[in-house]
Amino acid sequence: MDQRCYGKDVPTFTVAGQTIELERDEVERKLERVLPEPLREHYVVVCSRRYPPKQVLSEVTGLDRADFTTHQARRILKRLGFTAARATPEATAPETDGPATAGPFGGRQAEALSGYAGKWVALAGPTDVLVAADTPQEVLRWLAQYERKATGGMFRVPTQPTEAEGVAPR
Amino acid sequence: MRFSFVELPGELRPLVRPVVPVQIEDLDDAPQLCLLDSGATSNRFPAWLADAAGLSLDDALDEDEIVVGGTRTSGRLLQVELTLGAYRFRAPAWFCDPWNLSFGLLGQEGFFRFFRVTFCAAEGWLECEPEEEGIALVSGVP
Repeated sequence: MDQRCYGKDVPTFTVAGQTIELERDEVERKLERVLPEPLREHYVVVCSRRYPPKQVLSEVTGLDRADFTTHQARRILKRLGFTAARATPEATAPETDGPATAGPFGGRQAEALSGYAGKWVALAGPTDVLVAADTPQEVLRWLAQYERKATGGMFRVPTQPTEAEGVAPR
Repeated sequence: MRFSFVELPGELRPLVRPVVPVQIEDLDDAPQLCLLDSGATSNRFPAWLADAAGLSLDDALDEDEIVVGGTRTSGRLLQVELTLGAYRFRAPAWFCDPWNLSFGLLGQEGFFRFFRVTFCAAEGWLECEPEEEGIALVSGVP
């Protein structure tokens, strides 16, 4: 694959023998309603969601995933300004003798959930968000489609503290 | 069984809540994080969960307007199978619509009747010990 930029503003790439023009806005727009597939080793961040790089490039170009590698997809997406990183193993188990003010995970779980306010999420572990979606039905469909289990539970990340309270009237 | 509280994003510091993952009927892909609400008499869940679990709300044992989190909502009562860890129990639950909360709610009749619960808010964990009656060990689970 050959990657080159022509012109001033629209990056152009050659992938699988095809020349494509791709802009960051276009990638974000096309992925707006697309849920990320399960992550393996690498991911890119698009609109606060982590996607497999090949899924992103395939979705926005229509190319077959067999026609390019993860590394190629990562390079293109990085050149468009997206953060690319390597997925790390799940965070360690909570330290139950830690300070209570930061929470049982030292604030790491709250941090991991901070981009999902108002979304339904399924967790594989305390800081491992498998999928996030606008509706619980989308989350259930995703879990069934990819045969994954939300071992850490499923819930809606609150937009305000009162949504995470009990039955008592305020 | 010990469970960590959940940490949620908060403005100044994380919001920490006592929750457990409860499986509704056979919906084993997606156990629902539920808030342990000792002030609630019964379990309360969003109505979509009944659909997802294949429960018909037309078969409701009762129907009423109830208050959840200070909001009036329409609830329908069903007996449902719930699973926590290796333990399964059958309990009443109200399925409510609309539903504006983050978690299902576990109350006295539908949860604390089946488990003795110890909270340690200082360290952010809770423990559930099953009562002797009304609860079964799920086969195949150690």
